[in-house]
Amino acid sequence: MAMRDLVTGGAACAVPGSSSSSNPLGALANALIGSSSQKERLQEIPTSSLNPSGNNLYPGVVDPMSALPGSELEHPLHQQNKGSEFLNGFHAANDNRLAEVWDGIQNPQVPHFPPGQPQLQPELNGPPQRVLSSFLHSFVNSSHGGVPFGPTQLPVLGLSEGDKRCIRDRSSIMARHIFADRSEDFINGQVNALLSSLEIDNQGMARGPMPGRYPELEQYWGESQAMPPRPHGPDGWADEFSQQRLGQADPNAWALSFERQHGAGGWASEFEHEQRQMTSVDRMAGTNIPSLAAMEQTRMLAHTLAQNNNPKFQNSKFLQFVSKMSRGELTIEDNQVKPASGDWANEFQQQYNAGPSNWADQFAHEQVSTAPDRWADDFANERVHHGPVDEQWVNEFSKLEVNDWADEFGRQVGEGILGDDTADNWASAYDEYVNEQTVLKQKSDSSRGVYVFSDLNPYVGHPEPLKEGQELFRKGLLSEAVLALEAEVLKNPDNAEGWRLLGVAHAENDDDQQAIASMMRAHEADPTNLEVLLALGVSHTNELEQQAALKYLYSWLRNHPVYGKIAPPELSDSLYYADVARTFNEAAQMSPEDADVHIVLGVLYNLSREYDRAIESFQTALKLKPRDYSLWNKLGATQANSVQSADAIYAYQHALDLKPNYVRAWANMGISYANQGMYEDSIRYYVRALAMNPKADNAWQYLRISLSCASREDMMAACDSRNLDVLQKEFPL
Amino acid sequence: MASSDLKSAALLDQMKTHFSTDAGKALVKKIGLVYQINLAPKKMGFNEEIYVVDLKKGEVTKGPYEGGKPDATFSFTDEDFYKIATGKMNPQIAFMRGKMKVKGSLSAAQKFTPDIFPKPSKM
Repeated sequence: MAMRDLVTGGAACAVPGSSSSSNPLGALANALIGSSSQKERLQEIPTSSLNPSGNNLYPGVVDPMSALPGSELEHPLHQQNKGSEFLNGFHAANDNRLAEVWDGIQNPQVPHFPPGQPQLQPELNGPPQRVLSSFLHSFVNSSHGGVPFGPTQLPVLGLSEGDKRCIRDRSSIMARHIFADRSEDFINGQVNALLSSLEIDNQGMARGPMPGRYPELEQYWGESQAMPPRPHGPDGWADEFSQQRLGQADPNAWALSFERQHGAGGWASEFEHEQRQMTSVDRMAGTNIPSLAAMEQTRMLAHTLAQNNNPKFQNSKFLQFVSKMSRGELTIEDNQVKPASGDWANEFQQQYNAGPSNWADQFAHEQVSTAPDRWADDFANERVHHGPVDEQWVNEFSKLEVNDWADEFGRQVGEGILGDDTADNWASAYDEYVNEQTVLKQKSDSSRGVYVFSDLNPYVGHPEPLKEGQELFRKGLLSEAVLALEAEVLKNPDNAEGWRLLGVAHAENDDDQQAIASMMRAHEADPTNLEVLLALGVSHTNELEQQAALKYLYSWLRNHPVYGKIAPPELSDSLYYADVARTFNEAAQMSPEDADVHIVLGVLYNLSREYDRAIESFQTALKLKPRDYSLWNKLGATQANSVQSADAIYAYQHALDLKPNYVRAWANMGISYANQGMYEDSIRYYVRALAMNPKADNAWQYLRISLSCASREDMMAACDSRNLDVLQKEFPL
Repeated sequence: MASSDLKSAALLDQMKTHFSTDAGKALVKKIGLVYQINLAPKKMGFNEEIYVVDLKKGEVTKGPYEGGKPDATFSFTDEDFYKIATGKMNPQIAFMRGKMKVKGSLSAAQKFTPDIFPKPSKM
């Protein structure tokens, strides 16, 4: 069966991971994830911070990475069969996982199983996530074993509505591929068995857009089934597929419908959120640039939304807006903004109280800016079209420097920078802006000290999440530990130890924002805990929040059983750095054998940027506590910040020897290489850090910079789409 | 420069020392321009602290540029400059949103990217 071959990778022409035209599924996936906008926050795919460590079902598989004890990551790309890829699609569905699933399917690897029989019996004990993954494995394997899958009794898995929807939809699609040579009834039966075991109601959650999706798939499916088998199996299928496209936007349309169906519920709630609205609009904007095909898409989209009987949808201004877009009343074409669109910008602004009113104004007043990634070109254009910048300096500038600027502009026009894809570039600049807004919103939550919990936490419902969390932490599985600990603090919000360990895990995972948020909760639960106070001091020092850091470090002293008495309480109200430092030095003299005092002193000196003293303090502490990996990292960071990068790397290496999964140390290594101009090396270290914690936003930014410095623009797309597989392949350590 | 309360002061301090390294010297060779940066603690234009990042001589000084006219002058808030230097915010976006003001030569301003700043490490 042509379809089956394609899915199991019998085709020699399938190129793994690429989106060449002979790989429509890969192209679909990439279109779904990659093309128009990078970090889409439509959240039609429930987020999960799980990494693929759930696929521990084949412990016999040798993994080069597992040379590091307790390695968190088993490379999904290298070792796993498509069943595991399928599971990957369920877990960590945040970004690109669907693409990986599809790409994994495309890979011409013969799916391999361990020497024994494929497991048909799912492992039913253990944490919900393991149960789920083994259960799903057995579903997949049932296709190979030829044994029909039967409903099984499962323990409580704690699946949320979003999860269930996700699982339902994906399993339907996957089932069609896996059981490609079986009858429709068989497929439905299998899917139902799967879903009933998971207590997912197959029909109950169907919404308006859903019926829209199935007919389309049914149509393709039926037609591909009906076609006589061609000599070049998978190619033939691809040809058939491409013949049936509606216009050229087909992968996008399919992807759109898929997303639509996932996102319908999500969108309703998102309509209230300005950022998400903007993201949706952004997708509209992004895809509307190629006008006709785009209009087709928006028409379909509007149609689908209109079909939904939910009154929210019907009356939504957004729907009206989208309708208008699709009817062509509002368009954005190249540099021209249609007459209506001036109003559109205002209308948009009014409708959504869009934060960037500036943006809307600018847009209404000026033509779409042009060159890629050259903000200066925007600047030039804005000058041409008398943008709303009304400060004096602009006038000054225009009077004095017009010639320079005009030459610049002329030269750039001549160089053909203002090309055909100008609007795309504008759109992508806008994309970035919108993404930033979304990210900022999340960040602002944490920077206000509000902890952001992960969605889709499989440890919720676990009997002993704290113990589990501690165990995972000990093993070095930081992201997993975070989830388990989140489950603990959800259960017991006053558990100081739970919050504290959560904070430590985040800090080691290189997320100071979440670390601070967790530590604040720990502090609330236990205001005198010294470790918490020190951790808060360190995190604030990292964030260069001087006053806050000083407060916590001084608090450490005040609450210390031994040194508390030498720390005058009145100092707490008006903290001057010099006084605090002096008091600490007194404490150090009192007990020179106390490593902790030296550590706190070291952090203090970092605040004042007296790096030499800081280094001395840390080195003293290290003599007393040589196996403290976090201390080695502190030393390294201090050295790095005082531009002694070679020494820093040496210290980080010590830290990593002691704790191989220390994401922060890996990221710091990257920074030290980059600061020395060794960009290729730095890239490898960043990728390694990100592989362990894909949520480390800092590292993503630094990676991008290093890629650009190393002139690896070819990998920029992978970086922007956070495609770790590609990056890991390209930049192994 | 420990006297400054600005976050960015830490970055600029690091930049200063950075110039004595090979990477820093390479930067000077590559860029060879003088930037003046006006940093406002809270609101742009108010209580500005002025720094000069001199990529011709390879030094960072506090106070307005005395050696003539800087090739480009930027105005930011402390927070925004920090974000740009660490790559968290794109200069293009910043400009579009009015978070970054520029005076001077465009081509000089174009070279003001996150690349040129050494990054801070985390304890």
